[in-house]
Amino acid sequence: MTEQWNITLRIYRQKENEAPHFDNFKMEVNPDEYVLDAVERAWAFHDRTICFRHACHHSTCGACGMRVNGVEKLTCITLIRDVTKNGATLKVEPLRNFPVVSDLAVDMGPFYRKMEAVGARPVLPVTEAEIENPPAKWDTDDAQYIRLSDCIECGLCISACPVMATTPEYLGPAPLAAAQDNGIKRKPELLSIVDCEDGVWRCHSVFECTAVCPSFVDPARRIMDLRKQVVGARVRKLFGKA
Amino acid sequence: MNNTRNQPSARKFWSWFMPVGRQAGSWAFALNRITAIGLTFYLFLHLGVLSLLAQGPGAYDDFLVLTENPFIKLGELAVVAAAILHGLNGIRIILTSFGVGVTRQKQLFYGFMLISVLVILIFTARMY
Amino acid sequence: MSKPHVIIIGAGFTGVATAHDLALRGCDVTVVERGDLCHGTSGRTHGLLHSGGRYAVKDKESAVECIDENMILRRIVPQVIEPNGGLFIAIEEGDLDYAEQFIESCEECHIPLEELKPQEALKLEPNINPKVLTAFLIPDGTFDPLRLALAFAGTAKHNGARFQTYHEVQGFLMDGQGNVSGIKVLKRAANKTEELRADVVVNATGAWAGEITNMAGLDAPVKPTPGIMVAYDQRFVQRAINRLNTPADGDIVLPQRRMVVVGTTSFDAENVDYIPVTDDQIKLMLERGSELIPGIRNAKPRGIYMAARPLIGGGSGRSIARTFKCYDHKETHNIDGLVTITGGKATTLRAMAEKTADVVCAKLGITAACVTKETPLLSYRQYYASPN
Repeated sequence: MTEQWNITLRIYRQKENEAPHFDNFKMEVNPDEYVLDAVERAWAFHDRTICFRHACHHSTCGACGMRVNGVEKLTCITLIRDVTKNGATLKVEPLRNFPVVSDLAVDMGPFYRKMEAVGARPVLPVTEAEIENPPAKWDTDDAQYIRLSDCIECGLCISACPVMATTPEYLGPAPLAAAQDNGIKRKPELLSIVDCEDGVWRCHSVFECTAVCPSFVDPARRIMDLRKQVVGARVRKLFGKA
Repeated sequence: MNNTRNQPSARKFWSWFMPVGRQAGSWAFALNRITAIGLTFYLFLHLGVLSLLAQGPGAYDDFLVLTENPFIKLGELAVVAAAILHGLNGIRIILTSFGVGVTRQKQLFYGFMLISVLVILIFTARMY
Repeated sequence: MSKPHVIIIGAGFTGVATAHDLALRGCDVTVVERGDLCHGTSGRTHGLLHSGGRYAVKDKESAVECIDENMILRRIVPQVIEPNGGLFIAIEEGDLDYAEQFIESCEECHIPLEELKPQEALKLEPNINPKVLTAFLIPDGTFDPLRLALAFAGTAKHNGARFQTYHEVQGFLMDGQGNVSGIKVLKRAANKTEELRADVVVNATGAWAGEITNMAGLDAPVKPTPGIMVAYDQRFVQRAINRLNTPADGDIVLPQRRMVVVGTTSFDAENVDYIPVTDDQIKLMLERGSELIPGIRNAKPRGIYMAARPLIGGGSGRSIARTFKCYDHKETHNIDGLVTITGGKATTLRAMAEKTADVVCAKLGITAACVTKETPLLSYRQYYASPN
């Protein structure tokens, strides 16, 4: 028999020309289901006006990022059991620092445009996307295996970054991480994009981005590495010109 | 899609200082900012006090009497604590900005906090 | 001379690919979708870029469609594909019996294949079942579902198509003669209804095709057939791993980013809007998946989900042909202005769109030819290129 919990799902609601508010839905859920399942159920069986974003349900599309009890989560891989208890409330809100379209759905436009501006690579050779402790060693001399990159453009890092909250022009963790992945050496045109006050220098070392990233990108480490790349490039330029 | 929900706001600004539910890095960030504000305030206070010297030895000596006041002593301890916390956390930021220990930033924070607490305790003992 | 206006209902694979095709042929296209891109079946597809090997024996029409479209997609949208090929592996004697007809059928369907000895297969994929008896290399692949749709949609948008997400169709506008002349749509973000006129409305709602056609008083022959997927947290293989045998439950394991995804099952369902996961199906995926890749037993599930395939009505479960059909309702029910496209597989989205666009353009008197085979798609981020 699957366990059944009684929880109150508290969802942020916002429609045009209406004041934002929260709606409560008392639901019976299986705690081994995911938060996204609970939201989908609320839409399917309780209130068809709920707007939310989802697609793949297995952490490859990045669509279902939301704040669950105040913390950024990818709701399709977040077990209900891990974020609430039987009889308790589960609060779900849209991501911060994104324009809200309606309810839990946000506009990914500005963020995707920044990712495009730094030429973030959607697929890359497996040799350039090392996995720690891989489950096997593959012979990559002949075969150039290609895989989808780690960053799924979910925006959790953008939402969690307090600098992003006060500076919407800041490139942000994911775009900077993508720029680092490309590398200044390989794409020198990135230098002017990231070496500016709203680029790599705007980061204030909060590290919340790496803490919430569900996809092993580690943007904080990449931003620090990008700073090294930028400084190196500037120094080389200095001596190159001299 | 005309809404103003995700604009900078006072609530968001204050949320910097209350990183509830956030991880160690956010707490370090908040602590750094609070100590920074405290130390800046203290700096101006200190300059104000030093300017008393310009009014002659009497003015300064009168002030020194005040420093025996237990609240002032507590304030001085707070300044020392803030300086140590801010300084050590600042070293952590410098290290991580150069790519050193980025993947261990949480441990660095906890380690430096431990040292801070020890130093503050030693100072307290010496003061009282 | 203004362009004819086509409304497409549904922003899943069929909808976005059709928008792309029609935009290139000179139509003014509006896509309306009650959620966002890929909210339905398309989002939760396994992600297998089919070589057709799975269908070669029992469903040759489908297999040929797959291999042809596989090659086209590799050319026009490599940005969303892990193109590392696939293996069909035999684990037991019973699998070996399938080999001969498999080889013959693949050759008949011009699916390139190469037989490997067990040691060769294990050298390529160290984590597959060490008891592998024989293996066949075929050009499978993995794709990112949402980004595949974004690539089509973004290119269509660049060519003038409009995408209205969170717009739910509530009914049809009819002209005096009982034909469809547009839609009544609810803007879900604003709780306001709106009317939108069109020369043709395309119903590309997949498993919900029947719900939409009911609004015009007719049925659509679609049979929603859900199946389970379980994603595990380790990338055990670089290639798609298939069981060499007649298609059955849990016989495909795909790599994707740092995961492998095991699928799937096939059963009937009434309510397509929410299909709960059941423990017995999860167990089945674990069993079957670890027959192909034993390491799965030690991996953690990362995501578990159900999605309803839009199979064309008729038989039940696996015996239904997975081809697609385009219905011009002027011919089926004498209701003009409405076309339904249903059935199909993700891999054949471009072909489905071509067929649908052919039907739509014939109705509108447009003679431009389809160019989607040779047109590379723009970066999938183009979908967000201009602020709303």
